[in-house]
Amino acid sequence: MGDWLRINDWVHEGSLFLANEMMGLTPWPGQAEYLGFFIEKMVLCTLIFGGIMNTMFVILWMERKILGRLMDRRGAITAMRSLWVGENGVTAGAWWDKVPYGLGRPIGALNGFLNRVAGNRDPKHPTVDRVNNRSWHGVWFLFPGFFQNLADGMKFMTKEHMVPSKADKWIYEIAPFLIISSTVVILGFIPFSENFYAINPKLSVLFMMAIFGIAPLGVFFAGWSSNNKYTLLGGIRSAAQLTAYEIPMLIAVLSACILSGTFNLVELVDNQHYAGSWNLFLMPLGAAIFLIAMVAEVERIPFDMPEAEAELVEGWWTEYGGMRWGLMFSAEYMRTYAACFLFTHFFLGGWHAPFQGVIGSIPILGTGYLLIPGITWTLLKAWAVFVIFAWLRAALPRIRTDQILEFGWRYLLPLSIVQLVIVVFMRLYLFDAENLRFGDRGGFAWDGGIGLFLAVPVIVTFIFSVLFVLYSLDEEPGDMVERPFQAQTLEPAGTHKAGE
Amino acid sequence: MPMHKHAKPNFRNLFIKPFWMTLKTALRTFPIIGKRFSNGYHNKKAVMLDAGSMNRVKGSKMNKVGKQEYAADRESSTLVPSIWRPVTIMYPYERLEDMEPWLFVPGNYNGRIGVIWETCTACKLCVKICPNDCLHMTTELRVDVLDSAEGENSGYGGELEVGGYAAVEIEGIADEHSERDPITAHDAPVDEFRFAEVIDLSGSSATVRWNDSGVEEVMEQSDLLVADDQIVSGRIDMGRCMFCGLCMDACNFTSFFMTNEYDGMSGFSRQELWFDASRTRVLVNEHQEAVDAELAHRAKREKEKREKAAARAAKKAEA
Repeated sequence: MGDWLRINDWVHEGSLFLANEMMGLTPWPGQAEYLGFFIEKMVLCTLIFGGIMNTMFVILWMERKILGRLMDRRGAITAMRSLWVGENGVTAGAWWDKVPYGLGRPIGALNGFLNRVAGNRDPKHPTVDRVNNRSWHGVWFLFPGFFQNLADGMKFMTKEHMVPSKADKWIYEIAPFLIISSTVVILGFIPFSENFYAINPKLSVLFMMAIFGIAPLGVFFAGWSSNNKYTLLGGIRSAAQLTAYEIPMLIAVLSACILSGTFNLVELVDNQHYAGSWNLFLMPLGAAIFLIAMVAEVERIPFDMPEAEAELVEGWWTEYGGMRWGLMFSAEYMRTYAACFLFTHFFLGGWHAPFQGVIGSIPILGTGYLLIPGITWTLLKAWAVFVIFAWLRAALPRIRTDQILEFGWRYLLPLSIVQLVIVVFMRLYLFDAENLRFGDRGGFAWDGGIGLFLAVPVIVTFIFSVLFVLYSLDEEPGDMVERPFQAQTLEPAGTHKAGE
Repeated sequence: MPMHKHAKPNFRNLFIKPFWMTLKTALRTFPIIGKRFSNGYHNKKAVMLDAGSMNRVKGSKMNKVGKQEYAADRESSTLVPSIWRPVTIMYPYERLEDMEPWLFVPGNYNGRIGVIWETCTACKLCVKICPNDCLHMTTELRVDVLDSAEGENSGYGGELEVGGYAAVEIEGIADEHSERDPITAHDAPVDEFRFAEVIDLSGSSATVRWNDSGVEEVMEQSDLLVADDQIVSGRIDMGRCMFCGLCMDACNFTSFFMTNEYDGMSGFSRQELWFDASRTRVLVNEHQEAVDAELAHRAKREKEKREKAAARAAKKAEA
């Protein structure tokens, strides 16, 4: 059943074998399983954290690229620039050629070639050319700019650690670790696939949500202890905002748990598949609430009031510098990435392929389709969710604190409760547990209790789509201005002769 | 205050529209898809405003403007044409609201003053309220819209009289004015009318002396429009204007506006900031609804006045 990439099993067997071999050399061979457990968890944590941290580079890279395109602000890519074109047409190839014993010659020649073929030369626009030729734009398979984050990290590492003289030193030092450690703990609970996770307690969803709620405390500590009005304001805003959005988020998660009938993340994902429909199609409203609340929780635009750089310098982390700042900044992205994974698992069926049942039943193609390891789908879905995060950031402006709170308390909270009620009724009356199928193809439990094949997700999605379209229509499309829009005077400046 | 339709804070404008616009922008960056959303501003030769501008830029060695393409090509290399580079918007050849239409000028933006002179009644409320004293009133020869109105509002204007003025619409001018795009046009529209002094009226014909040529001519009265030399005209010193919009608020006749236009208010001397009527003018067809409403209002008043006068005359006759 399922994924052939059974990392957990392999690691379990391997570490047990290793532990047995090692403990066999000692007088206590009976203790091997404890050592095995230790090795297994160490290896798995390393794999999971390594996997998440490394794939997080993609998120950072995507954010720049997607925002650049959404906002039409694509600029020069500077990270790999020194490898390609230098200033004034002096190529880095010339530099490589100077490496002793001609060791750099091949790279120099390659640089020269790339410069000639793909260099940013444009004889039609000499002036523009001079400005734009600061760098070469690269090709996609080289991931130019991908390593900017590593370079940033190196820079932060070498920076001095400074504490404001009147800061509350202990709290000031503890706050970043509170934030970062609690963020990293979330990552440990995120499964990559059915058989690739670090730990999987029975109530993992509950635990994860509880951990998610610790970081705001650290944020408030950081804001308070810096002894700076901007950080304090940022901390207070953060506390108010996170409190307002935590509750609708938890209720939305609760709805998802009710639909899937479990508080365990791995089971929750699998149950979506066994029941035949992703939760997104059963509770679009809840998914939207969860997404909005998550954007607020990770303090991204449009809910980035706590760090509103236009008014609060940099919000609650104004006073931090060096690697502490770097870690807190990366913690923001870790939380964002974790939010993407959570959305994937709660609503997008986690590691299950789209239309797994339908495509999986095609004779040869389907077999190949099912061979794609689940981690591929998890990552692809998480990145796709991040596209929405970036799109939100490009499209929407930052909103005011009172609007944030009003939206959270007066709209999201009641809506989430409505969603909860709907979900309870759906689970009670429209769910048919007999049609659960525990296999690759998935089942069809959402048949409305009367045997209509997957009627519930189709109807629910249709209803919510119609509501969405109705709501987004303009109320008075023909309503035009009373004042002239774009009226223009008749003579341009400079052509008018005074006194005529 | 009426708002631009995109300024209404509803779900569509706050949420759906920004998403669609950013998506469109992102799609534009991939030429294969993006050309369907192209605004047609790229890869065109520069068209100078006028000969003067052309002369100013022609001689420069550093900046051969006449030979360069404005709205420069966004493709950064021939090998990977899908990667574009950012290009500065070449104002005034390109305008921001064309390139990035979500950055529209809001409907309540107080820009350059624009007046529908045809509906101005010279009440001088705007002149009185102007705190900076930048409005001035004169008179000029013009056709009153009420005189030339058609349909249900016709017949309430003035009539030709000896010593007064008449006008004839120049042929084809209506087409020219309707084709004129007020957003991209940089030159003033040509005159609409030829004016003449009425020398004599007899029967259905009139003897007129054309103002432009001084030639006398006998015309059918039905071909002539009534013109008036007492129609108000204004001069506005934009150099003193602080764009408070009080004049617009003071205007009772929907004829005084602060337009959304942010350019065309510069010059090489202070005198050039004296805008006479033609530079502040908003053409009737550019804002037909306001003119129509005003016209109906006036025709109604004129009608009531005439009915009252007729009733009074009837009463008098009875008595």
